[in-house]
Amino acid sequence: MRSKLAPLAALTVAAVGLTLAGCSTGGDAGDSGDVTTITFGNWRVEDQALWEENVIPAFEAAHPDIKVTYQPTGTDDYNAAIQSQIESGTGPDVIMCRPFDVNRAWIEDGYFDDLTGLDGIDGFTDTALAAWQGNDGNPYCVPIASVLAGFYYNKAIFTELGLEIPTTMAEFTDVLQAIKDDGKYTPLALGSADGWQLSYNVLDSIGPNYWKGEDGRLGLIDGTKKLTDPEFVEAFQAVSDLKSFMPDGYQSLTYEDQMQLFTLGKAAIMPDGSWDVTAATATGLDVGVFAPPVVNKGDQRYLQEMPDQGVGLNADSKNKDAAKVFLSWLASSDFQSIYVDKVPGFFSMGSEPVTYTNALAQEFADLKTDALLTPRLQLDRLSAGNPPLDDNTWAVLQTVFNDGVSAKDATSKLQTDLDSWYTPAG
Amino acid sequence: MIRTGTRYRLLALFVLPALLVYGGFAVYPLLSSVALSFFDSDNGGSFAGLGNYIYLFTDPYVSERFWNALRNSVLFFGIHLVVELPIGLLMAALLTSNSIRRSRGVYRTLLFIPATLSVVIVGFLWRLIINPLWGLVSFPLLGDAATALPTISLMSVWQYIGIPMIFLFTALIAIPNDILEASRIDGARAWATFWQIKFPLILPQFGLITILTYIWTFNGFDIVYALNGSAPGPNYSTDILGTMFYRTFFGSSGQVADTDLGATIASVVFFIILVTTAAYFVVLQRRLKTYEL
Repeated sequence: MRSKLAPLAALTVAAVGLTLAGCSTGGDAGDSGDVTTITFGNWRVEDQALWEENVIPAFEAAHPDIKVTYQPTGTDDYNAAIQSQIESGTGPDVIMCRPFDVNRAWIEDGYFDDLTGLDGIDGFTDTALAAWQGNDGNPYCVPIASVLAGFYYNKAIFTELGLEIPTTMAEFTDVLQAIKDDGKYTPLALGSADGWQLSYNVLDSIGPNYWKGEDGRLGLIDGTKKLTDPEFVEAFQAVSDLKSFMPDGYQSLTYEDQMQLFTLGKAAIMPDGSWDVTAATATGLDVGVFAPPVVNKGDQRYLQEMPDQGVGLNADSKNKDAAKVFLSWLASSDFQSIYVDKVPGFFSMGSEPVTYTNALAQEFADLKTDALLTPRLQLDRLSAGNPPLDDNTWAVLQTVFNDGVSAKDATSKLQTDLDSWYTPAG
Repeated sequence: MIRTGTRYRLLALFVLPALLVYGGFAVYPLLSSVALSFFDSDNGGSFAGLGNYIYLFTDPYVSERFWNALRNSVLFFGIHLVVELPIGLLMAALLTSNSIRRSRGVYRTLLFIPATLSVVIVGFLWRLIINPLWGLVSFPLLGDAATALPTISLMSVWQYIGIPMIFLFTALIAIPNDILEASRIDGARAWATFWQIKFPLILPQFGLITILTYIWTFNGFDIVYALNGSAPGPNYSTDILGTMFYRTFFGSSGQVADTDLGATIASVVFFIILVTTAAYFVVLQRRLKTYEL
């Protein structure tokens, strides 16, 4: 594909060259010499229109001397693309940062400038900044957005079958069983072809109620807890128990397939992240969202809030001054209120409260009330070696769903693999 | 007359441009990738000797992935060969037989069309066809570790079946008519003519197809990546050497890139292909009889 595009690229370069030549002969009409253009590398291909039509124009209106080029790469290829661009010195000026371990490795490799002292960086909570700190404890990326995960449900189906929103795991199972017994709809739109979503949208969503959020997560990091402890095994068991409510042939259904199943109104409930609020309602369904149910009635509720996107400054950037102006603006509540409004499903990480115009996004934000927040289990520290707990969890969860591996065997394999390289920080 | 010495200098001059391009874009990257595999960039690029190779073959996690990928690559190649050769031969034989002489061009084109499609489109089409929700089969072919790789291999065979077919087809039509007429005069039927006259004459083509398929499948990557991404599931059951290299060298969403180890894998794959291809030419290809026609 690259070779096929090469002539096209050459043509484009030639065309741009011609255009520029045309401009220069056309006289001194514009003052384009004073405008600095900075590039913004990121993995949000889906949000290109939202950024280009809403967010960037607002910035450029406030800063007419800076232009921002949105430069997305698909999420699967993003790390590879950024790494090869930076190694070859062609990286974008500002770079979207992955949370936790991947970013910590990038910081160690000198990809980013330290952002200590940047205007606005103090307006974030420590938990928001923690996802993008270096080993030195300094901030390297401006936190942009976090994502939540929960269960989308089709309100029409719930009304038709007379179902209530479940608050405990027992009620959740009853609801799923009732939908299954009725037989008209698939209870749970979920496939196991994509390992990542079994981990992020199911285990890390239901699980925190079992391992008590940060208690369990930090316990694994400092070595006081093991994945073979009962709370983790029970969480894996609860995930495994969902199998009987999934569609036939779920083993090869992809993330896209389950979204279609749900949006066509053929399935009642879908575990998914908040980033899909637009996609889930795209066909005009009346959709609601409920929080991962607690284990026993009256338990403290935990909710996954995952720091998702930060933006850092390329240490090799030639436009650092302009880039810093842009980063400061990203740290301001001006940006945050535009962003969360125009890119529904992502949530501001600033200290100042913001309201959401998208009803479903607001419903998601409301799930945070009374819940203790916790990021995904696997990404901090535990994925910095080989095998990374993150990738390993995807693969192991797939064996739970597709090969019938038990929760006990799954967790003990994960712990054994983790022990092979990880020395607890505590 | 140009003198011999001048002639060689002239020849060298004409060869030079191609040699420069080949050297700069094929030989140099290959050697520098092999060189990279002897260094350790985590320790400031210090010389590591065979350290990366030892790590690749002894680390319990990494070596398990490597042997798994190698096994899968062998299976990927085996399925290609076993399915591709007979079907390619059958198609080529039918195309050259008298029964469909009139629309030969149409069939040949139709059978070759998949090879011209983008691998992403082929993967997408088949993924829809075998989708358990709205496809033809309700069994999760891509979701079961036992069937996932054979399924992907067969998609790839479907796509590239035109290539061996064209090789065999051209060999078959190159057989002079007088030989076939002679066999007919001697009383041979179509079946006997095919197996006793045509087949031995096109046998060397099988060697060529085998070795091309071998190189192509061991360097394979695209169809698996298009269908299952860079950590091809379920549980790495469709992970081949190409995807393992990609994941290691470039990193995946949860894995940081390790260029040295990636270069090591690439070098091992290169070595495997080099040795087996050389062995093939020395041992087998020479013994295949070619006939002057």
